[in-house]
Amino acid sequence: MGQHQTDGGARKAVFAPVDSGARVTAVVRRIGDAIELGLLADGEQLPGETELAGQLGVSTVTLREALMALRQQGLVVTRRGRGGGSFVSSPEVPDRERLTERLRGWSPEELRDLGDHWAALSGTAAHLAAERTEDHDLDQLRRTTEELRGAPDAAARSRVYGRFHVELAAAAQSARLTREQVALQTEIGALLCLVLGDDEYREEVADRHRSVISAVQDGAHASARELAERCVRDATARLIALRLAR
Amino acid sequence: MSRSTAPSGPAAATLDAAEEYVAARVGHALEAVFDAVAATRADTAALLARVAAEGRRPVTADLAALRPGLHLRLTRQELVSGVGFVAAPGVLADVPAWLEWWQSDACGDVRPLLLDLDPRTSAYSDYTHWDWFALPRDTGRRAVAGPYVDYLCSDEYSLTLSAPVEVGGRFLGVAAADVYLRHFEAAALPLLRGLPGPARLVNARGRVAASADPAQLAGSLVKGPDFGAVLESGRPGTFGGMRLVPCRGVPLVLVVAAG
Repeated sequence: MGQHQTDGGARKAVFAPVDSGARVTAVVRRIGDAIELGLLADGEQLPGETELAGQLGVSTVTLREALMALRQQGLVVTRRGRGGGSFVSSPEVPDRERLTERLRGWSPEELRDLGDHWAALSGTAAHLAAERTEDHDLDQLRRTTEELRGAPDAAARSRVYGRFHVELAAAAQSARLTREQVALQTEIGALLCLVLGDDEYREEVADRHRSVISAVQDGAHASARELAERCVRDATARLIALRLAR
Repeated sequence: MSRSTAPSGPAAATLDAAEEYVAARVGHALEAVFDAVAATRADTAALLARVAAEGRRPVTADLAALRPGLHLRLTRQELVSGVGFVAAPGVLADVPAWLEWWQSDACGDVRPLLLDLDPRTSAYSDYTHWDWFALPRDTGRRAVAGPYVDYLCSDEYSLTLSAPVEVGGRFLGVAAADVYLRHFEAAALPLLRGLPGPARLVNARGRVAASADPAQLAGSLVKGPDFGAVLESGRPGTFGGMRLVPCRGVPLVLVVAAG
Protein backbone atom coordinates (compact mmCIF):
# COMPACT_ATOMS: atom_id res chain seq x y z
CA MET A 1 0.00 0.00 0.00
CA GLY A 2 3.02 2.23 0.48
CA GLN A 3 2.92 5.68 1.97
CA HIS A 4 -0.49 7.16 2.03
CA GLN A 5 -1.63 9.84 4.32
CA THR A 6 -5.22 10.53 5.05
CA ASP A 7 -7.05 13.08 7.09
CA GLY A 8 -10.48 13.82 8.45
CA GLY A 9 -11.97 13.93 11.93
CA ALA A 10 -11.11 10.50 13.22
CA ARG A 11 -7.56 10.81 11.90
CA LYS A 12 -6.95 14.23 13.38
CA ALA A 13 -8.02 12.92 16.78
CA VAL A 14 -5.36 10.22 16.55
CA PHE A 15 -2.56 12.77 16.65
CA ALA A 16 -4.09 15.22 19.15
CA PRO A 17 -2.14 15.70 22.42
CA VAL A 18 -2.58 12.87 24.93
CA ASP A 19 -3.46 13.46 28.58
CA SER A 20 -0.72 13.67 31.15
CA GLY A 21 -0.34 10.77 33.58
CA ALA A 22 0.38 7.35 32.17
CA ARG A 23 1.73 8.80 28.95
CA VAL A 24 3.41 5.77 27.50
CA THR A 25 0.22 3.77 28.02
CA ALA A 26 -1.83 6.58 26.54
CA VAL A 27 0.32 6.76 23.39
CA VAL A 28 0.31 2.97 22.96
CA ARG A 29 -3.45 2.93 23.39
CA ARG A 30 -4.10 5.78 20.98
CA ILE A 31 -1.90 4.54 18.14
CA GLY A 32 -2.63 0.86 18.76
CA ASP A 33 -6.39 1.46 18.65
CA ALA A 34 -6.08 3.53 15.48
CA ILE A 35 -4.23 0.66 13.82
CA GLU A 36 -6.73 -1.98 15.01
CA LEU A 37 -9.58 0.12 13.63
CA GLY A 38 -7.83 0.74 10.34
CA LEU A 39 -7.61 4.52 10.84
CA LEU A 40 -3.92 4.15 10.15
CA ALA A 41 -3.40 2.02 7.09
CA ASP A 42 -1.09 -0.94 6.70
CA GLY A 43 2.35 0.19 5.53
CA GLU A 44 1.67 3.83 6.31
CA GLN A 45 4.67 5.72 7.62
CA LEU A 46 4.19 7.41 10.98
CA PRO A 47 5.48 10.98 11.30
CA GLY A 48 9.11 11.34 12.45
CA GLU A 49 9.78 10.88 16.17
CA THR A 50 10.24 14.57 16.93
CA GLU A 51 7.18 15.60 14.96
CA LEU A 52 4.99 12.84 16.35
CA ALA A 53 6.11 13.52 19.93
CA GLY A 54 5.31 17.20 19.36
CA GLN A 55 1.85 16.45 18.00
CA LEU A 56 1.01 14.11 20.85
CA GLY A 57 2.47 16.48 23.41
CA VAL A 58 4.91 13.95 24.89
CA SER A 59 8.70 13.83 25.15
CA THR A 60 10.66 11.87 22.55
CA VAL A 61 11.73 9.48 25.33
CA THR A 62 8.08 8.70 26.09
CA LEU A 63 7.34 8.27 22.41
CA ARG A 64 10.26 5.86 21.96
CA GLU A 65 9.04 3.72 24.83
CA ALA A 66 5.57 3.68 23.31
CA LEU A 67 6.91 2.74 19.87
CA MET A 68 8.89 -0.07 21.47
CA ALA A 69 5.70 -1.43 23.07
CA LEU A 70 3.88 -1.16 19.73
CA ARG A 71 6.73 -3.04 18.01
CA GLN A 72 6.44 -5.78 20.61
CA GLN A 73 2.73 -6.04 19.85
CA GLY A 74 3.60 -6.33 16.15
CA LEU A 75 1.62 -3.22 15.21
CA VAL A 76 4.61 -1.13 14.15
CA VAL A 77 7.82 -2.02 12.34
CA THR A 78 10.83 0.24 12.32
CA ARG A 79 13.25 0.29 9.41
CA ARG A 80 16.62 1.99 9.64
CA GLY A 81 18.57 3.95 7.06
CA ARG A 82 17.47 5.79 3.95
CA GLY A 83 13.69 5.63 3.55
CA GLY A 84 13.53 4.29 7.09
CA GLY A 85 11.17 5.17 9.91
CA SER A 86 8.26 3.63 11.74
CA PHE A 87 5.57 1.96 9.66
CA VAL A 88 2.13 0.65 10.50
CA SER A 89 1.79 -3.10 10.37
CA SER A 90 -1.95 -3.80 10.39
CA PRO A 91 -3.23 -7.16 11.49
CA GLU A 92 -5.55 -8.81 8.96
CA VAL A 93 -8.31 -8.87 11.53
CA PRO A 94 -8.18 -7.47 15.06
CA ASP A 95 -6.78 -10.24 17.17
CA ARG A 96 -8.94 -11.13 20.14
CA GLU A 97 -6.00 -11.73 22.41
CA ARG A 98 -4.39 -8.42 21.59
CA LEU A 99 -7.69 -6.60 22.05
CA THR A 100 -8.20 -8.30 25.41
CA GLU A 101 -4.72 -7.14 26.34
CA ARG A 102 -5.76 -3.64 25.30
CA LEU A 103 -8.91 -3.88 27.42
CA ARG A 104 -6.73 -4.84 30.39
CA GLY A 105 -5.04 -1.44 29.99
CA TRP A 106 -8.29 0.13 31.12
CA SER A 107 -9.37 -0.08 34.75
CA PRO A 108 -13.10 -0.79 35.29
CA GLU A 109 -13.41 2.70 36.73
CA GLU A 110 -11.90 4.23 33.56
CA LEU A 111 -14.30 2.22 31.44
CA ARG A 112 -17.23 3.35 33.57
CA ASP A 113 -16.10 6.95 33.17
CA LEU A 114 -15.67 6.53 29.42
CA GLY A 115 -19.21 5.13 29.28
CA ASP A 116 -20.52 8.12 31.25
CA HIS A 117 -18.90 10.52 28.80
CA TRP A 118 -20.22 8.57 25.84
CA ALA A 119 -23.76 8.39 27.29
CA ALA A 120 -23.69 12.15 27.86
CA LEU A 121 -22.64 12.76 24.26
CA SER A 122 -24.99 10.32 22.54
CA GLY A 123 -27.91 11.01 24.90
CA THR A 124 -27.71 14.75 24.31
CA ALA A 125 -27.19 14.23 20.59
CA ALA A 126 -30.34 12.07 20.40
CA HIS A 127 -32.32 14.65 22.37
CA LEU A 128 -31.23 17.54 20.14
CA ALA A 129 -31.64 15.50 16.97
CA ALA A 130 -35.26 14.80 17.95
CA GLU A 131 -35.82 18.55 18.16
CA ARG A 132 -33.88 19.49 15.05
CA THR A 133 -34.23 16.63 12.63
CA GLU A 134 -36.36 16.53 9.57
CA ASP A 135 -36.96 13.17 7.99
CA HIS A 136 -34.30 13.47 5.32
CA ASP A 137 -31.58 13.78 8.01
CA LEU A 138 -32.39 10.25 9.16
CA ASP A 139 -31.53 8.60 5.85
CA GLN A 140 -27.87 8.22 6.76
CA LEU A 141 -28.67 6.75 10.19
CA ARG A 142 -31.06 4.26 8.59
CA ARG A 143 -28.46 3.28 6.00
CA THR A 144 -25.85 2.82 8.73
CA THR A 145 -28.15 0.59 10.76
CA GLU A 146 -28.75 -1.62 7.73
CA GLU A 147 -25.02 -1.71 7.00
CA LEU A 148 -24.35 -2.87 10.55
CA ARG A 149 -26.50 -5.94 9.90
CA GLY A 150 -24.44 -6.77 6.82
CA ALA A 151 -20.99 -6.00 8.24
CA PRO A 152 -18.99 -9.21 8.14
CA ASP A 153 -16.36 -8.95 10.85
CA ALA A 154 -16.00 -7.29 14.24
CA ALA A 155 -13.75 -4.50 12.94
CA ALA A 156 -16.20 -3.51 10.19
CA ARG A 157 -19.07 -3.65 12.67
CA SER A 158 -17.19 -1.47 15.09
CA ARG A 159 -16.49 1.17 12.41
CA VAL A 160 -20.14 1.24 11.30
CA TYR A 161 -21.33 1.27 14.92
CA GLY A 162 -19.09 4.28 15.60
CA ARG A 163 -20.40 5.99 12.49
CA PHE A 164 -23.96 5.68 13.81
CA HIS A 165 -23.05 7.72 16.87
CA VAL A 166 -21.12 10.27 14.79
CA GLU A 167 -24.12 10.65 12.46
CA LEU A 168 -26.44 11.01 15.45
CA ALA A 169 -24.29 13.93 16.69
CA ALA A 170 -24.35 15.44 13.19
CA ALA A 171 -28.17 15.09 13.12
CA ALA A 172 -28.14 17.18 16.32
CA GLN A 173 -26.59 19.94 14.15
CA SER A 174 -23.68 20.23 16.58
CA ALA A 175 -20.13 20.33 15.21
CA ARG A 176 -18.72 20.18 18.74
CA LEU A 177 -20.69 17.09 19.78
CA THR A 178 -19.70 15.50 16.47
CA ARG A 179 -15.98 16.20 16.98
CA GLU A 180 -16.19 14.86 20.56
CA GLN A 181 -17.96 11.75 19.34
CA VAL A 182 -15.31 11.15 16.65
CA ALA A 183 -12.58 11.46 19.28
CA LEU A 184 -14.44 9.15 21.66
CA GLN A 185 -14.93 6.52 18.97
CA THR A 186 -11.18 6.42 18.34
CA GLU A 187 -10.81 5.53 22.03
CA ILE A 188 -13.55 2.95 22.35
CA GLY A 189 -13.88 1.66 18.79
CA ALA A 190 -11.20 -1.00 18.99
CA LEU A 191 -12.51 -2.30 22.32
CA LEU A 192 -15.99 -2.61 20.88
CA CYS A 193 -14.66 -5.22 18.44
CA LEU A 194 -14.61 -7.50 21.49
CA VAL A 195 -18.38 -7.41 21.92
CA LEU A 196 -19.60 -6.79 18.37
CA GLY A 197 -18.23 -10.07 17.01
CA ASP A 198 -21.25 -11.76 18.63
CA ASP A 199 -24.01 -11.96 15.98
CA GLU A 200 -26.78 -11.95 18.54
CA TYR A 201 -25.50 -8.77 20.14
CA ARG A 202 -25.04 -7.18 16.72
CA GLU A 203 -28.76 -7.79 16.05
CA GLU A 204 -29.65 -6.36 19.43
CA VAL A 205 -27.59 -3.22 18.69
CA ALA A 206 -29.26 -2.82 15.29
CA ASP A 207 -32.67 -3.04 17.02
CA ARG A 208 -31.62 -0.47 19.59
CA HIS A 209 -30.41 1.86 16.86
CA ARG A 210 -33.68 1.48 15.04
CA SER A 211 -35.63 2.44 18.14
CA VAL A 212 -33.41 5.53 18.63
CA ILE A 213 -34.15 6.52 15.02
CA SER A 214 -37.90 6.07 15.55
CA ALA A 215 -37.88 8.24 18.68
CA VAL A 216 -35.87 10.93 16.88
CA GLN A 217 -38.25 10.78 13.94
CA ASP A 218 -41.25 11.18 16.26
CA GLY A 219 -39.62 14.18 17.92
CA ALA A 220 -39.80 12.30 21.23
CA HIS A 221 -36.66 13.89 22.63
CA ALA A 222 -36.87 12.46 26.16
CA SER A 223 -37.21 8.87 24.98
CA ALA A 224 -34.64 9.41 22.21
CA ARG A 225 -32.16 10.44 24.90
CA GLU A 226 -33.05 7.52 27.14
CA LEU A 227 -32.81 4.96 24.34
CA ALA A 228 -29.44 6.28 23.14
CA GLU A 229 -28.10 6.29 26.70
CA ARG A 230 -29.32 2.77 27.28
CA CYS A 231 -27.64 1.59 24.08
CA VAL A 232 -24.33 3.12 25.17
CA ARG A 233 -24.58 1.93 28.77
CA ASP A 234 -25.27 -1.58 27.62
CA ALA A 235 -22.18 -1.63 25.39
CA THR A 236 -20.05 -0.25 28.22
CA ALA A 237 -21.47 -2.75 30.72
CA ARG A 238 -20.49 -5.59 28.39
CA LEU A 239 -16.94 -4.28 28.18
CA ILE A 240 -16.71 -3.91 31.95
CA ALA A 241 -18.04 -7.43 32.45
CA LEU A 242 -15.38 -8.72 30.05
CA ARG A 243 -12.71 -6.74 31.88
CA LEU A 244 -13.76 -8.10 35.27
CA ALA A 245 -13.94 -11.64 33.97
CA ARG A 246 -10.15 -11.75 33.56
CA MET B 1 -41.32 43.74 -7.11
CA SER B 2 -43.90 41.02 -6.67
CA ARG B 3 -46.14 40.82 -3.65
CA SER B 4 -48.78 38.41 -2.51
CA THR B 5 -50.88 39.05 0.58
CA ALA B 6 -48.66 41.56 2.38
CA PRO B 7 -50.32 44.74 3.71
CA SER B 8 -50.45 47.68 1.35
CA GLY B 9 -49.60 51.37 1.88
CA PRO B 10 -46.35 53.35 1.73
CA ALA B 11 -44.87 52.02 5.03
CA ALA B 12 -45.47 48.42 4.06
CA ALA B 13 -44.02 49.04 0.61
CA THR B 14 -40.83 50.42 2.20
CA LEU B 15 -40.56 47.41 4.48
CA ASP B 16 -41.11 45.04 1.57
CA ALA B 17 -38.37 46.81 -0.30
CA ALA B 18 -36.01 46.45 2.71
CA GLU B 19 -36.72 42.74 2.93
CA GLU B 20 -36.23 42.19 -0.75
CA TYR B 21 -33.01 44.17 -0.60
CA VAL B 22 -31.70 41.85 2.15
CA ALA B 23 -32.81 38.76 0.20
CA ALA B 24 -31.05 40.09 -2.90
CA ARG B 25 -27.83 40.83 -0.98
CA VAL B 26 -27.79 37.31 0.52
CA GLY B 27 -28.32 35.87 -2.95
CA HIS B 28 -25.50 38.05 -4.24
CA ALA B 29 -23.07 36.85 -1.52
CA LEU B 30 -23.73 33.19 -2.36
CA GLU B 31 -23.66 33.95 -6.07
CA ALA B 32 -20.01 34.93 -5.60
CA VAL B 33 -19.37 31.47 -4.11
CA PHE B 34 -21.20 29.89 -7.04
CA ASP B 35 -18.80 31.80 -9.30
CA ALA B 36 -15.95 29.84 -7.67
CA VAL B 37 -17.91 26.62 -8.22
CA ALA B 38 -18.61 27.52 -11.86
CA ALA B 39 -14.93 28.31 -12.52
CA THR B 40 -13.90 24.98 -10.97
CA ARG B 41 -16.57 23.21 -12.99
CA ALA B 42 -15.37 24.83 -16.24
CA ASP B 43 -11.69 24.04 -15.53
CA THR B 44 -12.51 20.44 -14.66
CA ALA B 45 -14.78 19.84 -17.64
CA ALA B 46 -12.14 21.30 -20.00
CA LEU B 47 -9.42 19.16 -18.42
CA LEU B 48 -11.46 15.95 -18.59
CA ALA B 49 -12.49 16.67 -22.20
CA ARG B 50 -8.82 17.19 -23.11
CA VAL B 51 -7.84 13.87 -21.52
CA ALA B 52 -10.72 12.11 -23.31
CA ALA B 53 -9.53 13.63 -26.61
CA GLU B 54 -6.16 11.96 -25.98
CA GLY B 55 -8.03 8.68 -25.97
CA ARG B 56 -7.34 7.76 -22.35
CA ARG B 57 -9.02 7.75 -18.95
CA PRO B 58 -8.08 10.49 -16.47
CA VAL B 59 -5.90 9.71 -13.45
CA THR B 60 -5.42 11.60 -10.17
CA ALA B 61 -2.19 13.17 -11.45
CA ASP B 62 -4.17 14.92 -14.23
CA LEU B 63 -6.19 16.77 -11.59
CA ALA B 64 -3.05 18.53 -10.34
CA ALA B 65 -3.66 20.98 -13.22
CA LEU B 66 -6.69 22.27 -11.31
CA ARG B 67 -4.63 23.38 -8.31
CA PRO B 68 -3.58 26.91 -9.32
CA GLY B 69 -7.23 27.81 -9.93
CA LEU B 70 -8.40 26.18 -6.70
CA HIS B 71 -5.73 27.98 -4.66
CA LEU B 72 -6.65 31.28 -6.24
CA ARG B 73 -10.34 30.83 -5.39
CA LEU B 74 -9.50 29.88 -1.80
CA THR B 75 -7.41 32.98 -1.24
CA ARG B 76 -9.55 35.44 -3.26
CA GLN B 77 -13.04 34.36 -2.23
CA GLU B 78 -13.56 35.41 1.37
CA LEU B 79 -16.48 33.08 2.17
CA VAL B 80 -14.88 29.97 0.64
CA SER B 81 -12.97 27.70 3.07
CA GLY B 82 -12.77 24.60 0.88
CA VAL B 83 -13.00 24.06 -2.86
CA GLY B 84 -12.44 21.32 -5.38
CA PHE B 85 -13.65 18.57 -7.65
CA VAL B 86 -15.15 15.34 -6.34
CA ALA B 87 -14.97 12.56 -8.90
CA ALA B 88 -17.83 10.16 -9.43
CA PRO B 89 -16.67 6.64 -8.46
CA GLY B 90 -15.11 4.84 -11.42
CA VAL B 91 -14.22 7.96 -13.41
CA LEU B 92 -10.49 7.94 -12.59
CA ALA B 93 -8.39 5.07 -13.85
CA ASP B 94 -5.97 4.80 -10.89
CA VAL B 95 -8.32 5.03 -7.88
CA PRO B 96 -11.92 3.97 -7.21
CA ALA B 97 -12.89 7.38 -5.78
CA TRP B 98 -11.24 10.74 -5.26
CA LEU B 99 -11.62 14.26 -3.91
CA GLU B 100 -9.27 16.85 -5.39
CA TRP B 101 -10.06 19.04 -2.42
CA TRP B 102 -8.21 22.00 -0.93
CA GLN B 103 -8.90 23.88 2.28
CA SER B 104 -7.64 27.05 3.87
CA ASP B 105 -6.91 26.81 7.58
CA ALA B 106 -7.25 29.42 10.33
CA CYS B 107 -3.84 30.90 9.40
CA GLY B 108 -4.84 31.22 5.75
CA ASP B 109 -2.55 28.39 4.66
CA VAL B 110 -3.87 26.28 1.80
CA ARG B 111 -3.61 22.50 2.15
CA PRO B 112 -5.00 19.40 0.47
CA LEU B 113 -7.56 17.15 2.11
CA LEU B 114 -6.41 13.55 2.03
CA LEU B 115 -9.15 11.14 2.92
CA ASP B 116 -9.04 7.44 3.51
CA LEU B 117 -11.47 6.24 0.83
CA ASP B 118 -10.65 2.56 1.15
CA PRO B 119 -13.88 0.77 2.13
CA ARG B 120 -11.81 -1.93 3.85
CA THR B 121 -10.51 0.52 6.44
CA SER B 122 -12.87 3.46 6.47
CA ALA B 123 -16.56 3.63 7.31
CA TYR B 124 -16.69 6.96 5.48
CA SER B 125 -15.41 5.89 2.07
CA ASP B 126 -18.71 6.28 0.20
CA TYR B 127 -19.50 9.96 -0.30
CA THR B 128 -22.14 9.57 -3.00
CA HIS B 129 -25.12 9.90 -0.64
CA TRP B 130 -24.17 13.36 0.67
CA ASP B 131 -26.51 16.09 -0.59
CA TRP B 132 -23.65 18.09 -2.15
CA PHE B 133 -22.93 15.11 -4.42
CA ALA B 134 -26.37 13.54 -4.87
CA LEU B 135 -28.36 16.73 -5.62
CA PRO B 136 -26.32 17.92 -8.65
CA ARG B 137 -25.99 14.31 -9.87
CA ASP B 138 -29.74 13.65 -9.69
CA THR B 139 -31.03 17.03 -10.89
CA GLY B 140 -28.26 18.11 -13.26
CA ARG B 141 -28.41 21.52 -11.58
CA ARG B 142 -26.34 23.43 -9.07
CA ALA B 143 -27.32 23.02 -5.41
CA VAL B 144 -26.79 24.32 -1.89
CA ALA B 145 -26.42 21.58 0.73
CA GLY B 146 -26.83 22.31 4.41
CA PRO B 147 -26.47 23.72 6.89
CA TYR B 148 -25.06 20.36 8.03
CA VAL B 149 -22.18 19.06 10.16
CA ASP B 150 -19.49 18.07 7.68
CA TYR B 151 -17.74 15.22 9.48
CA LEU B 152 -16.17 14.00 6.24
CA CYS B 153 -13.99 16.96 5.25
CA SER B 154 -13.91 19.89 7.64
CA ASP B 155 -15.61 18.93 10.94
CA GLU B 156 -17.40 22.26 10.61
CA TYR B 157 -21.03 23.28 10.46
CA SER B 158 -21.21 24.20 6.79
CA LEU B 159 -23.01 25.06 3.62
CA THR B 160 -21.67 23.33 0.51
CA LEU B 161 -22.43 24.79 -2.91
CA SER B 162 -21.97 22.41 -5.81
CA ALA B 163 -22.63 21.87 -9.50
CA PRO B 164 -22.40 18.82 -11.76
CA VAL B 165 -19.38 18.33 -14.01
CA GLU B 166 -20.41 16.75 -17.28
CA VAL B 167 -18.55 15.97 -20.48
CA GLY B 168 -20.52 14.91 -23.52
CA GLY B 169 -23.63 14.53 -21.37
CA ARG B 170 -21.93 12.11 -18.98
CA PHE B 171 -21.85 12.95 -15.25
CA LEU B 172 -18.24 12.78 -14.01
CA GLY B 173 -18.53 14.31 -10.56
CA VAL B 174 -19.21 17.62 -8.85
CA ALA B 175 -17.38 20.92 -8.49
CA ALA B 176 -18.01 22.33 -5.02
CA ALA B 177 -17.12 24.98 -2.46
CA ASP B 178 -17.55 24.96 1.33
CA VAL B 179 -18.76 27.96 3.32
CA TYR B 180 -18.47 27.53 7.08
CA LEU B 181 -21.72 28.57 8.68
CA ARG B 182 -20.04 30.97 11.10
CA HIS B 183 -18.60 32.87 8.12
CA PHE B 184 -21.94 32.90 6.35
CA GLU B 185 -23.67 34.10 9.51
CA ALA B 186 -21.09 36.84 9.97
CA ALA B 187 -21.86 38.05 6.45
CA ALA B 188 -25.65 37.74 6.77
CA LEU B 189 -26.17 39.04 10.34
CA PRO B 190 -25.60 42.77 9.67
CA LEU B 191 -28.23 42.52 6.91
CA LEU B 192 -30.71 40.62 9.08
CA ARG B 193 -30.22 42.97 12.01
CA GLY B 194 -30.94 45.92 9.72
CA LEU B 195 -34.55 44.74 9.46
CA PRO B 196 -37.01 45.96 12.11
CA GLY B 197 -38.22 42.55 13.40
CA PRO B 198 -36.44 39.26 14.17
CA ALA B 199 -35.29 37.79 10.86
CA ARG B 200 -33.75 34.49 9.77
CA LEU B 201 -32.67 32.72 6.62
CA VAL B 202 -34.11 29.26 6.13
CA ASN B 203 -33.30 26.52 3.61
CA ALA B 204 -35.76 24.57 1.47
CA ARG B 205 -36.29 22.01 4.25
CA GLY B 206 -36.94 24.62 6.95
CA ARG B 207 -33.47 24.55 8.56
CA VAL B 208 -32.28 27.95 9.82
CA ALA B 209 -28.97 28.96 8.17
CA ALA B 210 -28.55 32.35 9.84
CA SER B 211 -30.63 34.12 12.43
CA ALA B 212 -31.04 37.42 14.24
CA ASP B 213 -33.89 35.87 16.22
CA PRO B 214 -32.76 34.64 19.66
CA ALA B 215 -35.82 32.36 19.81
CA GLN B 216 -34.85 30.48 16.64
CA LEU B 217 -31.15 30.06 16.06
CA ALA B 218 -29.15 28.57 13.21
CA GLY B 219 -29.53 24.80 13.08
CA SER B 220 -33.11 24.76 14.36
CA LEU B 221 -36.14 23.94 12.22
CA VAL B 222 -38.96 26.26 11.23
CA LYS B 223 -41.96 23.97 11.02
CA GLY B 224 -45.06 24.61 8.99
CA PRO B 225 -44.38 26.52 5.78
CA ASP B 226 -43.49 24.71 2.58
CA PHE B 227 -40.24 26.56 1.88
CA GLY B 228 -39.59 24.44 -1.18
CA ALA B 229 -42.81 25.75 -2.75
CA VAL B 230 -41.87 29.37 -1.91
CA LEU B 231 -38.51 28.88 -3.64
CA GLU B 232 -40.17 27.17 -6.57
CA SER B 233 -42.57 30.09 -7.08
CA GLY B 234 -39.82 32.69 -6.62
CA ARG B 235 -42.38 35.00 -5.01
CA PRO B 236 -42.85 36.29 -1.46
CA GLY B 237 -45.67 34.77 0.53
CA THR B 238 -47.05 34.59 4.06
CA PHE B 239 -47.64 31.76 6.49
CA GLY B 240 -49.12 32.02 9.99
CA GLY B 241 -47.82 35.49 10.80
CA MET B 242 -44.53 35.00 8.92
CA ARG B 243 -43.53 36.72 5.73
CA LEU B 244 -41.43 34.52 3.45
CA VAL B 245 -39.15 36.17 0.89
CA PRO B 246 -37.10 33.93 -1.42
CA CYS B 247 -33.47 34.95 -2.02
CA ARG B 248 -32.96 35.31 -5.73
CA GLY B 249 -31.01 32.49 -7.35
CA VAL B 250 -30.20 30.58 -4.15
CA PRO B 251 -32.40 28.17 -2.19
CA LEU B 252 -32.78 30.28 0.98
CA VAL B 253 -35.88 32.06 2.23
CA LEU B 254 -35.84 35.20 4.37
CA VAL B 255 -38.37 34.77 7.18
CA VAL B 256 -39.67 37.80 9.09
CA ALA B 257 -42.75 38.59 11.16
CA ALA B 258 -45.54 39.71 8.83
CA GLY B 259 -46.26 43.40 9.36
